[in-house]
Amino acid sequence: MLRLFIHSSAWLSFSGLLLLSGFLLYASWPIFSEQGLYFIAESEWYPYEDLFGMLPALFGSLLSVGVALLIALPLGVAAALFNIEIVPSCLQPWLRLLMELMAGIPSVVYGLMGLWLLVPFLEQQLDLLTGRTLLAAALLLSVMVLPTIMVLSEDALRKVADDQRQRANALGLSWWAVVQRILLPQAWPGIRLATLLSLGRAMGETVAVMLVIGSIDRLPEPLYNLLQPAQSLTSRIGREMGEASVGSPHWSALMSSGLLLMLMSVAVVLLSQRRWFK
Amino acid sequence: MISNSRLSNITAPVQHPTTALQIDQLKLSIQGQPILHEISLSLPTSGITALIGPSGAGKSSLLHCINLLQQAWQGEITLHQKSIRQWPGGDEKLRRHIGLVAQKPTVFPTTIYRNVVFGIDGFWQRRNAHAIAEQALRQAALWGEVKDRLHAPAASLSLGQQQRLCLARALAIKPKLLLLDEPTASLDPKSKQLIEQALSQLASHIPLLLVSHNLEQAQRLGEQVIFMCEGKVIEQADCDTFFNHPQRVESKEFLRWAVCECD
Ligand SMILES: Nc1ncnc2c1ncn2[C@@H]1O[C@H](COP(=O)(O)OP(=O)(O)OP(=O)(O)O)[C@@H](O)[C@H]1O
Ligand SMILES: [Mg+2]
Repeated sequence: MLRLFIHSSAWLSFSGLLLLSGFLLYASWPIFSEQGLYFIAESEWYPYEDLFGMLPALFGSLLSVGVALLIALPLGVAAALFNIEIVPSCLQPWLRLLMELMAGIPSVVYGLMGLWLLVPFLEQQLDLLTGRTLLAAALLLSVMVLPTIMVLSEDALRKVADDQRQRANALGLSWWAVVQRILLPQAWPGIRLATLLSLGRAMGETVAVMLVIGSIDRLPEPLYNLLQPAQSLTSRIGREMGEASVGSPHWSALMSSGLLLMLMSVAVVLLSQRRWFK
Repeated sequence: MISNSRLSNITAPVQHPTTALQIDQLKLSIQGQPILHEISLSLPTSGITALIGPSGAGKSSLLHCINLLQQAWQGEITLHQKSIRQWPGGDEKLRRHIGLVAQKPTVFPTTIYRNVVFGIDGFWQRRNAHAIAEQALRQAALWGEVKDRLHAPAASLSLGQQQRLCLARALAIKPKLLLLDEPTASLDPKSKQLIEQALSQLASHIPLLLVSHNLEQAQRLGEQVIFMCEGKVIEQADCDTFFNHPQRVESKEFLRWAVCECD
């Protein structure tokens, strides 16, 4: 009975993935059959002129998520180390509780805070026309995934056996050397999982990003310029899906953005597989 | 015999140029629980000192105090006439001079070779890491078994081999003092004999403090014996004196029945 349950659940979830991609592919088929695949690499997005260039939003998604992780990953791991090694042990559970609470806050709340505090702050400090920029989105995303990274990394770091650390200490390794050569390598599977999960959350984040990214379909100039309004795949779907009529090329193009997002997350999971690192 | 032991009693607290390690009035409590009481002992600049005593006597705890893995003690420990608390360069520098082979063999989850060179530090030592590793593995009687699989995971070794790997790892840092917590506990007679030979050779130029539950081994290897029980040093004496003419009642009982009751 249990066996049957486990087997059928496994097949259900597996077929769920297949079904999902099947439907997405079906829904976005019209745009592919009409425009081929080139539109993905084009940068003009004017739905009423049947121009569906995906590149700006794709680029915006990748860059905001990349920058967010570049900020949040070192900070999160450092915060986990800090909580384990430096914070007095009576305070450790409280810091942890705080982080767990932060990890559970709905993203729209983060979006509101970003809109209210972060956007005006950037506008004033950096003297911008508008604070709704790629940078705002990246910073907000990094704040959102930081607690997840910290909590999971902390778990992974705590699992490293005390014996190992003691032996390394006995060999005269400094604190930093022990961190580098014992703690981090052994906690790596957990940190990798934390990265994956937060990558997933950041890439799929819609509302918070929509509120602060500026929603302008244009490649930044130069490409690494984070201080211009930009667009992400999710934010565009969130913004435009309501006004696109079902079955229209616009609708189909938005569906294909969804497909693209899913392919990206699959690619991330595949790329992060252990076996490639050997 | 009596004058000999009185002499050692009188000279114990005095700093002696032939003393490598000197412990005075060492006290250790963990969470209000006294573990070590007023330990005083000394190790000469070479030779093996066997540390014996029943389980729970505080032998491992004493070793951890000596390389400052355990810091919560009071008293004074000096290595080559320098207090280890104020060691120049700090605890880490001190530990580079003290090799410790812990009671429970724990290898790092990496290759055999990397395990051996794990603690090697300094420019010249790193450049010669391979030679140092080979020498350490030879001394630990492990070279023959691993020389063709140096880059295999250390966890794939047998328990006895892991124990020897831990010894090699401690030897590779070229310690000036070696603390051994039952280094031959899970070894077969053959490798035990090889290790004992290696230890005797090492003992010709550095002091070794060897914890052993095996009294024959202590007698065979030790020049000096320290007998501990319930956190106290009951007797410190020459090996021959201790095993043939123990001074204290507790020592006699321990030698005869392997029990110890002291208050
Ligand atoms: N971290 C600790 N916390 C509390 N008590 C401890 C701790 N470490 C050691 N002890 C206690 O100190 C005493 C001495 O322990 P220790 O490990 O030094 O004994 P030992 O002589 O090495 O024994 P064995 O021969 O079994 O290894 C024991 O009673 C043990 O319970
Ligand atoms: Mg012990």
